[in-house]
Amino acid sequence: MTLSLANRSITPKSNDRRIAGRRLVLGTALALTAIGATLVYAAQTQVFDPQTHKWVEYDKKKARKYYAAHNEVPEAFRPQMVKFRTAEVPGTIIIDGNQHFLYLVQPGQRAMRYGIGVGREGFGWAGIVRVGRMAEWPTWTPPAEMIARDPNAVKHAAGMPGGPDNPLGARALYLYERDQDTIYRIHGTPEPWTIGLDVSSGCIRMRNDDITDLASRVKVGAKVIVLMQGAALYKGV
Amino acid sequence: MSAKPAVRTSIRATAIGFLAGGLSACVSASPPPPQDQMSRTQVETAPADLQLLCADAVAKASGADSTKILPVSSSKIDSKTYQVELDASGKKTSCLVDTDGNVKSVQPT
Repeated sequence: MTLSLANRSITPKSNDRRIAGRRLVLGTALALTAIGATLVYAAQTQVFDPQTHKWVEYDKKKARKYYAAHNEVPEAFRPQMVKFRTAEVPGTIIIDGNQHFLYLVQPGQRAMRYGIGVGREGFGWAGIVRVGRMAEWPTWTPPAEMIARDPNAVKHAAGMPGGPDNPLGARALYLYERDQDTIYRIHGTPEPWTIGLDVSSGCIRMRNDDITDLASRVKVGAKVIVLMQGAALYKGV
Repeated sequence: MSAKPAVRTSIRATAIGFLAGGLSACVSASPPPPQDQMSRTQVETAPADLQLLCADAVAKASGADSTKILPVSSSKIDSKTYQVELDASGKKTSCLVDTDGNVKSVQPT
């Protein structure tokens, strides 16, 4: 009771302190909410370790180590046929950016699933687009925005010829919104260990063998649905 | 305190320890997930096919152009149900779908 009474006797000075305290609490709450929101979308990949029977964090460092030891990506990110209940027609590509999978719809409620690498935080996007064109061992021409932020891209401003070191890898599927190139592609990579991670500038990357297989199964004009919770950008919707 | 009760307490504790150890040894490690579920992210979103089943249900319920309906977020409600939030040309819709692919409800938000 005494404490309650004491709290009620507010002087101008204690009032100021109280308002400042409230502002601090509110500010901290907002900051924590913002951090929380960022963490929600920067959800890290985990893979199941069959030896320890435990889920383990899978980041860039561990991915590189795993690839060096096995010359392969973890089993989850290798191509496999899976059950896929959908009304979409066979030949449609569905990208689950959060779970790092690309599905190619097959007849009979099934899909061919491949592991992918997607845009890092702030570079993720979602939408409904289509395959505008495809290319084998494509030339890589960094877009102007990339040249502006990445000094390493400047030397390739005129275009880097296709080849094993080219960031687009063995094939590229150019994604279009109606008749406009979105500047996003589904492509191969000389860095296969990055599959399963959020690493790119918004393109969807696959292992060279996988993109070659996908390109052989897909037709120009195929619908591409990109799902990405917390996307920074939407295309075609 | 004499030594006798202390010895008894010690024997009892040892017996309980052995029993607990035996029980935990009987509990096998959790089985591995199916081959197609060997990876995950800390935030559990709905599987892509379930998200798209919701998009299809929204298109049918609203008559909206299915090429403009996009799932934008999803979360697990319970062990058998996901909630999917969709955007249909700016109109927000919420959908509940179970793990068997049955759309339970579609509601504007």
